[in-house]
Amino acid sequence: MATAYLLLAPATVLLLGMLAYPLGWEVWISFTDFSPLNDHGPRFVGLENYRHLLADAEFWRAVVVTVGFAAATTLAKLALGVAFALLLARPFRGRTLVFLAIFLPWAYPASVSVIGWYWTLSPPIPTAYSPFMGTLKYTVDGALGGGAWAFLSVTLFNIWRGSSFIGVFLLAGINAVPPELFECALLESRSAWRRFWLVTVPLLRPFLALAVFLSLTTAFADLANVWLLTAGRVVFPVVGTQAYWLAIKGGQFGPASALSLMLVPFLLAVLALLFRAFDPPAEARA
Amino acid sequence: MAQVLLKDLNKKYDEVHAVKDVNLHIRDKEFIVLVGPSGCGKSTTLRMVAGLEEITAGEIAIGDRVVNDLPPKDRDIAMVFQNYALYPHMTVYDNMAFGLKMRKFPKAEIQKRVQDAAEILGIQDLLKRKPRQLSGGQRQRVAVGRAIVRHPQVFLFDEPLSNLDAKLRVQMRVELKRLHDRLETTAIYVTHDQVEAMTLGDRVVVMKDGWIQQVGEPLELYTKPSNRFVAGFIGSPAMNFVDVGIQGSDSSLTAQGTGIRLAIPPVNASQLGPYKGQRVTLGIRPEDLHIAAGGDQAGYVFDAVVDVVEPLGSEILLDVKAGPNSLVARVEPTVRLKVHDGVRLAVNPDRLHFFDMTSEKAI
Repeated sequence: MATAYLLLAPATVLLLGMLAYPLGWEVWISFTDFSPLNDHGPRFVGLENYRHLLADAEFWRAVVVTVGFAAATTLAKLALGVAFALLLARPFRGRTLVFLAIFLPWAYPASVSVIGWYWTLSPPIPTAYSPFMGTLKYTVDGALGGGAWAFLSVTLFNIWRGSSFIGVFLLAGINAVPPELFECALLESRSAWRRFWLVTVPLLRPFLALAVFLSLTTAFADLANVWLLTAGRVVFPVVGTQAYWLAIKGGQFGPASALSLMLVPFLLAVLALLFRAFDPPAEARA
Repeated sequence: MAQVLLKDLNKKYDEVHAVKDVNLHIRDKEFIVLVGPSGCGKSTTLRMVAGLEEITAGEIAIGDRVVNDLPPKDRDIAMVFQNYALYPHMTVYDNMAFGLKMRKFPKAEIQKRVQDAAEILGIQDLLKRKPRQLSGGQRQRVAVGRAIVRHPQVFLFDEPLSNLDAKLRVQMRVELKRLHDRLETTAIYVTHDQVEAMTLGDRVVVMKDGWIQQVGEPLELYTKPSNRFVAGFIGSPAMNFVDVGIQGSDSSLTAQGTGIRLAIPPVNASQLGPYKGQRVTLGIRPEDLHIAAGGDQAGYVFDAVVDVVEPLGSEILLDVKAGPNSLVARVEPTVRLKVHDGVRLAVNPDRLHFFDMTSEKAI
């Protein structure tokens, strides 16, 4: 027993030190007025930071944008991912090439591809297509408000990269299902649509739930890509970037912590539901 | 109820010619079994009937309809898969009702049919369970039930008992036979197990390398195999094969092998006449060998040495060596012999088989 705990110790220290401690610290700070600009240390202010946020219109805007961003990208990624997976699940000529084309966005380093997207959508130097892109950008921004184009590019990038991953992930899911289960449905119905909803979707449910789970968690945490694609000029604030501005640029660590923790209960509830879908309780098994 | 007609059926994949010129007339209400080693084309043939594989050349007719271009759903067949193919997210009831639901049958009709099938199969108590809560045998019954409720023209079975343990397999075999007697629906059954083929089939189709080797009633295949492959495939333990040369005069031919010499019985003499001076394959089934006694004619006995003794209770299998030849004899359980004992064996002269060396066809 002692040896077991000894062997577990490095992992335990790592988990506690790298995850539990920062999280606990953040929760504590969200109840204080901690700021490096203050002369004094963190002072407990109770729920003041949270109360202040709930009354802040900018916060609600960030929530709507964040949830909208997460929902829209997840839906789009799921739809595209399922389409990719179904396409690749059957043999055809050139399948390997198509597989590579679909997998590449995920396999390619994000930091490089995000710059590629940024330069494509907002060309930094005059190119053949920069007038066109420029016009497009000002049209979009003109119609939807400044920063819309940047936000749209974040969304597109997220979908482009994520649907690649979800497609390959679901393909693995389909391949794990015995082909007879699909053949059996083929014997009973001609309608691919009916077979898809009555057989494919239920059979892939655990994989779909896990895909949504991963998509949501990354969407909420997708700060780096937003930053890279918008160069920090955040007009459509998401919770993550707003908290960053508040803490790093504004020095208001207390409110920033509260802001970043605000959506956690909601996210946890959704994730718990999804978790049940991809990992059903053991007692249901024989 | 329907007959099934396979005409010049062929299936080619890129490199492999899996099914070659298969011609078969499956009669109405017949239980036909396709049997052969893996890769012989039996499953591919079945899947072409189901519509799960495209037909490269030839024609399949179910009833009086050519179904080549019909989608599987419209062929009026029901299939039972080796791994049962039950939907894990559905209850037994929903699994059995699946086909009818997909075909938009009225609810009451579905319920009646599922209840009837459940009763026939004795699984009324399991209807609310999920497949993972069932044993292998129960799952198999549900899979059969899902086929029954459809009242199809033809049942297709793809190795349905292969995933069961030996005891259950025997039990389910009997149940399937009883079920067929009761439902009287045409059935095509694929298996690699020759015992299943013999016990279940009204007729058995032996396949190898994509070709049909022989079609016949079980005992016909056993007593009159048309070639060496069928002779060796049907029957357990398998038929013994010995290379022999045909010698002597027309009136008294002998089969001379290394360490074994037998007179050619009069029944075989005329066919073997032309083979005089040539080599052929002699086939003897284990049960056509016995310990020689006074009544056995001198020409039909040979000496051997016991190699292995396998007592099975109801009988003993003697593995013996006659010269370089290994043979198996099925003898009375009262025989007491030890390894390395010498033994004189006699053949049943009416039941010898001879095969051409090159064509492997029965002579």
